[in-house]
Amino acid sequence: MGKILRLVGRRLWQLLPIIVFATFVVFSLLQLVPGDPAVVLAGDYASEQRIAEIRQLYGLDQPFLVQYGVWLLHALEGNLGRSLLTSESVSQLILYRLPNTLLIAVYALVIAGLVGVALGVAAATRVGTRLDAFITGLASLGVALPSFWLAMILVATLSLGLHWFPTTGAAPLLTDPWSAIMHATLPAVALAVGVIAELARQVRSALIEVLNSQYIRTLRAKGLSSGAVLWKHGLRNISVTLLTLLGLQVNRLFSGAVVIEAVFAIPGVGSLVATSALNKDFPVVQGVVLVLVVIVILINLVVDVLNALLDPRAAEA
Amino acid sequence: MSNDIDQLRLDRRRVMQATAAAAGALLLPATSFAEDAPRKGGTLRVAMPYNPGSVDPMTGRNLTDFNVLYGVFDALVDFEPLTLELKPGLAKSWKFEDLKTLVLELQDGVTFHDGSPFNADAVKFNLDRYKNDPRSNVKSDLSSVESVEVNAPNRVTIHLNKPNVGLPVILTNRVGLMVSPKAIQEKGPNVDRNPVGTGPFKFVSWQDNDSFVLARNDNYWKPGLPYLDGLNMRIISELNTVARTVTAGECDVALNLQPQQKIVADRASGVVTKVFPSLVPYLAFINYGRPPLDNLQVRQALNYAINRDEINKVAALGLGQPSDTILSKAHWACDPATVNYYTYDPAKAKKLLADAGHPDGIEIETIGWADQTAMQRQEIIISQLAKVGIRVKLTPLSPQQAVQAFMIDKKGAMFISPSSPFADPSQFYENLFGKDALRNPGRVELPGFRELLDATMDTPDQNARKAAFAKLQRFTVENALSLVQFIAPAIGVMSAKVQNYKDGLPATPKFTEVWLSA
Repeated sequence: MGKILRLVGRRLWQLLPIIVFATFVVFSLLQLVPGDPAVVLAGDYASEQRIAEIRQLYGLDQPFLVQYGVWLLHALEGNLGRSLLTSESVSQLILYRLPNTLLIAVYALVIAGLVGVALGVAAATRVGTRLDAFITGLASLGVALPSFWLAMILVATLSLGLHWFPTTGAAPLLTDPWSAIMHATLPAVALAVGVIAELARQVRSALIEVLNSQYIRTLRAKGLSSGAVLWKHGLRNISVTLLTLLGLQVNRLFSGAVVIEAVFAIPGVGSLVATSALNKDFPVVQGVVLVLVVIVILINLVVDVLNALLDPRAAEA
Repeated sequence: MSNDIDQLRLDRRRVMQATAAAAGALLLPATSFAEDAPRKGGTLRVAMPYNPGSVDPMTGRNLTDFNVLYGVFDALVDFEPLTLELKPGLAKSWKFEDLKTLVLELQDGVTFHDGSPFNADAVKFNLDRYKNDPRSNVKSDLSSVESVEVNAPNRVTIHLNKPNVGLPVILTNRVGLMVSPKAIQEKGPNVDRNPVGTGPFKFVSWQDNDSFVLARNDNYWKPGLPYLDGLNMRIISELNTVARTVTAGECDVALNLQPQQKIVADRASGVVTKVFPSLVPYLAFINYGRPPLDNLQVRQALNYAINRDEINKVAALGLGQPSDTILSKAHWACDPATVNYYTYDPAKAKKLLADAGHPDGIEIETIGWADQTAMQRQEIIISQLAKVGIRVKLTPLSPQQAVQAFMIDKKGAMFISPSSPFADPSQFYENLFGKDALRNPGRVELPGFRELLDATMDTPDQNARKAAFAKLQRFTVENALSLVQFIAPAIGVMSAKVQNYKDGLPATPKFTEVWLSA
């Protein structure tokens, strides 16, 4: 247990430098992109004089490091600032939108976990059969399919054609859970397909390796039923691989959400960061990056802790 | 031509049907008419692609902000959406005592949504704020205003530093929108997100790039209005998704669409697609302050080399209006005589190029937009120009980067883009061709331009103004100061339940008199 606590402590210590590094890199990248938020802010009424006034008014004429330093100081005080474009508070924006993104990401992860593992196990236990070939083929297709294309096909058939699901938007999970689930189903399925394919392939190959190992042969020789071999020993042995894989897929789900949220018009952090980055609304981009970095690090931490519990050798690494 | 005849026949048939229907209606009991009378109640669900920049008229910035602005705010001067004819707003009348003095008589008994009174002090407060506040984006709209004087609780005199008869028109726009002074004093910059006006709807909530909610103002000063209980607006950035919300029955109206969405909407049942004229020109801004486009013959060659009908057919599905001038034919100030001054004539374009010293053609560095529809439009223009030897070297950028590159960094010789219209045509010309105009990156004003522009501002008589604008229009067209291709159509997709919706010429919809049938 002590080892695990040390692991958590070590990881939390790393959090701050990673946040500073990530937000600094994103801030620099935003500076490198051509374009000037002052031009957006002046809009239809832009004149050279007005653009210069706006730069001064919003501190955009300050040197790059000063602008970043000011942002970082405020962020450390818990103040993420306001959107340059709409003067909405960045924390409000994120608080309103994050649940929508989390819902589709978690929903997609659950679907992918259940379906992906089931397919992988089915293929691994029937290696060389038609079912195996079918699942492997399906998995290759799933990896290759762009999620936005699939999303549009789902909308055209299941929602516009059959009216089973709403076509756009989101609903609050706490006050209207049924509607929230219905709204999130198609986006989650579209997001999950790539992850299902990935999981099915990895679980299949990992499980095949385990099932061919000598100790499994011993277990079989000892008279254990094939069900017990698979569920009690086979899957437990690939659980560490599976967990690591799931952790990595969470990152993929968050980045995939940027596109899926646009297709389904879901007010989530993905669409928020996309519109803000295009308009160089840097306080919003920085705020979202900060929150996403924290989420990703925490998820990795949870994965590491679980790994350590499953396999104590991992805590020492 | 055959299309015109079909149209005529259709119209005649429609007239006959309408006459028959009217005759039949006379025989019916009066209660049957109730179906067509405006019905009160119901919430209109609107989908639109653009998040408002700000809902304070002073700090907002885009034409599409008006999707919500006219709901919350009334302007001092109102206008007929399809003719732009001025009519009383919060000012019940206005009059130029002389060319530099405008007197406004205000409506009585109007209150802001926060209960504070609307009066002459509020008008002065707002106009002074628009003119002087450091955060104001609209100072230039009031550059001709010297001072605002309160004469009585419902009477204001605006003193000008130079004649500007376009001011009443300008007061239909942002600087005419009256914000509660009490709200501004209490909330400061927060009025950006908490608008308080006198308009038909009160502000309820706004989630960026998601939703904007307005509720009926029960104390609205126009009796019986508005008909709707409120507006639930959804902000969805992807245009096809915006249209889809209406075909799927999730919204009643979709705003700010492109012709491409009309094709999809036309296939859906229970959905009405309306095409209105707009004032938005699609053009190429030209840097005529330096070679090669400082040469008139080269600019004219550009104008003769493009086939506007073809561009309109491909890029706007034939719904736009081919034009070589920035003002729409539907605008009162437009002179039809020079709308199609440049007819497609590749031979003439080649000759003009040769005369200008480019017998082997010329390369023109051009900036454009990078999205798919813009690329399609630009490719047609490029291929047409290539036929006369004009080789376009296109740099596609995001709209914001393109503005920066062409107008501020002064890169390229042309910039293919649509242009937002301005309330008064004099502002439109000033903002495109004036010496300090951002859209004129050469910062050159051709001799004669200023006199023609000033002449449009020193007579309040509309016919005299129209004549002055005709001369200005001819000047800008003959000098080929821009490369206009067509005036865009405004596309609205809505459910058949939506009644009395008019997307006016300036593409600034008003929902005050819209109602939903049962």
